[in-house]
Amino acid sequence: MARIGVFVCHCGTNIAGVVSIPAVLEAAKKMPGVVVAADDKYSCSDPGQAHIRAVIEQNKLNRVVIGSCSPRMHEFTFRKVMVKAGLNPYFLEVANIREQVSWVHSNDKEKATAKAIDHVMIAVAKVARDEALFPKRVPLTKRALVIGAGITGIQAALDIASAGHPVTLVEREASIGGHMAQLDKTFPTLDCSACILTPKMVEVAQHPNITLLTYSEVRQVSGFVGNFDVEIVKKARKVDSKKCTGCGVCWLKCPEKVPAEFNEGLGTREAIYVPFPQAVPLVPRVDLENCRYIKYLEYMPGKTPGKRPMQCRICEKLCPVQALDWEQQDEVVKEKFGAIVVATGYKTFDPSVCGEYGGGKLPDVISGLQLERMFNSSGPTGGEVLRPSDGTHPKTVVLVSCVGSRDEQRGRPYCSKICCMYTAKQTILLKEHDPEVQCYVFYIDIRTGGKDYEEFARRAQEEYGALYLRGRISRIYEDGKQLVVLGEDSLMGRPVEIRADMVVLATGVEANEGAAELAQTMKLSHDVYDFLTEAHPKLKPVETQTDGILVAGACVGPKDIPECVAQGGAAAAKVSALFSQEMLTSDPMVASVDNARCIGCLLCVQVCPYKAIDTQVLRNGRTVAVVNESLCRACGLCPAVCRPKAVNLRGFTNQQLLAEVNALWQ
Amino acid sequence: MESLDKQIRDKARELLTSGAFACVMGYERATDGKTARPLFAYTPEEAERFVFDQYCTHNLARYLINWRDNKKSVGIVAKPCDTRAINLLINEKQIDRSKLYVIGVACQGIMEVGWGAPTEKLELRCNTCSEPNPVLHDLLVGEFKSESPAAAKAYADVAAIEGKSAEERDGFWQEHFSRCIRCYACRQSCVGCYCQECFVDELDPLWVGIKVAPAENTVWHTIRAFHLAGRCISCNECERVCPVDIPLSLLNRKLEKDGLELFQFQAGMDASVTPPFATFKKGEKLGTGD
Repeated sequence: MARIGVFVCHCGTNIAGVVSIPAVLEAAKKMPGVVVAADDKYSCSDPGQAHIRAVIEQNKLNRVVIGSCSPRMHEFTFRKVMVKAGLNPYFLEVANIREQVSWVHSNDKEKATAKAIDHVMIAVAKVARDEALFPKRVPLTKRALVIGAGITGIQAALDIASAGHPVTLVEREASIGGHMAQLDKTFPTLDCSACILTPKMVEVAQHPNITLLTYSEVRQVSGFVGNFDVEIVKKARKVDSKKCTGCGVCWLKCPEKVPAEFNEGLGTREAIYVPFPQAVPLVPRVDLENCRYIKYLEYMPGKTPGKRPMQCRICEKLCPVQALDWEQQDEVVKEKFGAIVVATGYKTFDPSVCGEYGGGKLPDVISGLQLERMFNSSGPTGGEVLRPSDGTHPKTVVLVSCVGSRDEQRGRPYCSKICCMYTAKQTILLKEHDPEVQCYVFYIDIRTGGKDYEEFARRAQEEYGALYLRGRISRIYEDGKQLVVLGEDSLMGRPVEIRADMVVLATGVEANEGAAELAQTMKLSHDVYDFLTEAHPKLKPVETQTDGILVAGACVGPKDIPECVAQGGAAAAKVSALFSQEMLTSDPMVASVDNARCIGCLLCVQVCPYKAIDTQVLRNGRTVAVVNESLCRACGLCPAVCRPKAVNLRGFTNQQLLAEVNALWQ
Repeated sequence: MESLDKQIRDKARELLTSGAFACVMGYERATDGKTARPLFAYTPEEAERFVFDQYCTHNLARYLINWRDNKKSVGIVAKPCDTRAINLLINEKQIDRSKLYVIGVACQGIMEVGWGAPTEKLELRCNTCSEPNPVLHDLLVGEFKSESPAAAKAYADVAAIEGKSAEERDGFWQEHFSRCIRCYACRQSCVGCYCQECFVDELDPLWVGIKVAPAENTVWHTIRAFHLAGRCISCNECERVCPVDIPLSLLNRKLEKDGLELFQFQAGMDASVTPPFATFKKGEKLGTGD
């Protein structure tokens, strides 16, 4: 038999100033099952908690209703009072008579009191049907997976590894480093990107707690916090990384030349290659699309029509350690992880869709990242800024910001955040490379939020003489050897025409290729631009809706290097905190399946956004659904679609909800 | 060309002789010599009684659920609408396609059998039929039809009700529901109604009052219709078996029409398509109103 106690909180005058507390108490005493009704000035205060506990013990209560603020505020506090009083903490219901009553109905005290009584009545009806619930304890694997080895992933991996936990760092490309490895100098201090990045890359390679898997992709993620099962595909390099010493003779002698992706299509690389000289690991991979021997192998069995390719194999002949392994196949690694950090980064906007900028057809219209590679001494031009068309030094350079940013027509209405700063940096570097260069920058706004950023952008204009023109470009076309840039200066209100030697497009930040697919395998949510969604944009910036999976860096949205490093570290801190526990406790207020009622239609499996429902075969051969309590987030979709009402949300069962509704209609 | 009966009998005999099949379901001549009744053949000898004609009205897919956990396979004689019901059951994991042999019959339409008096009139479902060919079959008997003569008027009667005002519709349904005796024949004949325990039989929580009265009857029919939303395959068995002639197919076909208009989805056409309830696609309409 339920012995219910009702406690009504005044919350100072927050509730008592509007709702008549004596009237609520009077009404509560008449509700079915209610043994005692009492009030407190502040139920959440120490004396308030002590009072509740004393009343529970005196009256031998077994159910408690507290009329107070939203359960989001103090449900946890009151559950602890229940435990202290010797009751199961889930025999408690909180009636929200502050946010839902007194605060919103302060102009009509009578009706507010009536509504407060209704709220208490609903809670009394529900609490009578409450069941004792007990949290489960599950073990966890103290091993972390970091996906993406740009600066964010590197930082996260290093921080987790330094906290003493094993980390597997997975990178899709042949080397770690990400976009930061492509940059020459970094704003606002102009320190050399490689000089600050490569020590971290080497540290990753040498750290005893870090397992590095490059040229590998995460294919499948299942399981839940503390116990993720992950399938990683190690793609075939055709080079045995255990034997290879990175001497470089293979790529020096390879006769096949293809455009270099790492150099953004400027210059060439070989068909066996490392993307850049400081690559980690310094193990080349064979490009299966372009290698002559691979083409020969593909040609031979069926003798497909066409010219017979050459059977080159020069790399194999010259390799001093016989590291070439043509038999090597993709390998699938299955491992268990306790936590996952997603740091898959970004890609830059492809300006070839922009007809006004030449649509990628004008050779001297380049992207910011291409210019970055030209600045770099190990880049395609050996550190010289040269016009791709004729290899001469440009003297007039136009830089265009907001290419693929703040552009609603191209579906990119957001600000890419980094372009204003890197454009300013590039005007400085252009001037430093060649003092005769004159830079013009077309901008919409100059956004320089960040420590020392505004000073840096001003220096570009004041010390380095870059001319900033506020306005958009309408057209770029070739005239002889030069480019004519037509635009407008919206501050002066007149059209501008500049004859330039080179145009640099400050291309914006986009979600990386495959980011949305990866998010879907992990059941993470993403926005319309395919950027991953964090659990809370302010208070949970690296957490996701899935416990144990964290996001960091530019896969969440445009970010500069300091922010990425900070987020990588933040994600690592969350992983370390998770791994500091010996066992994980799971919330018992989740869905559960009544086997006797389940008809095995498995609609619940299809609607579950967290992959929390699995199947089991009963002894009589019937297949039914079963909820993985660690994965379930109690969203309530499965009880909603279940026709035979076999799935119930503990703490919100059909019986409880119907009791609430019935209480209102009596 | 061999008669339908012979083709069905030959195949059924072959299946039952093989030993892998527990049963083949089909139709045999009823005692009145004119209409047909279900036949469950367990031996090759029983297979000799199979017939098929325009009086084979029952949707036998209803009985497949009984073989859900059986280790042996079953065979079934299925009209086009029945094959859609089979697809529904496959989609909802109630039967294993590999343990099922479907003898699909290209249908000429089924004649109405009144109260024991067979007529020469096509049933309502055949007059509104949009798919006269089996959507699923291992063996096809009969002639494939290139198009459905009735497809155009598939929802004419539904549209007529839609055109009425809310009060008129309420009056219409209250009149029909007030006659309901809650015999649950509609549920018992329905392929989609295979729950272990129907919500209407539950006592805790008591979703529907036990009393047979217009309000309770309305709740029963409304919830049943919603449980069949996106699942009803319009075999109209519920309406056929209703002893008080409630036009239940109007209710179910209204939901089918909405499903088609909103999600381009019709239940049972393809077992591999995820039903709209279980998926969300970008650009989907969110409702019928503004």
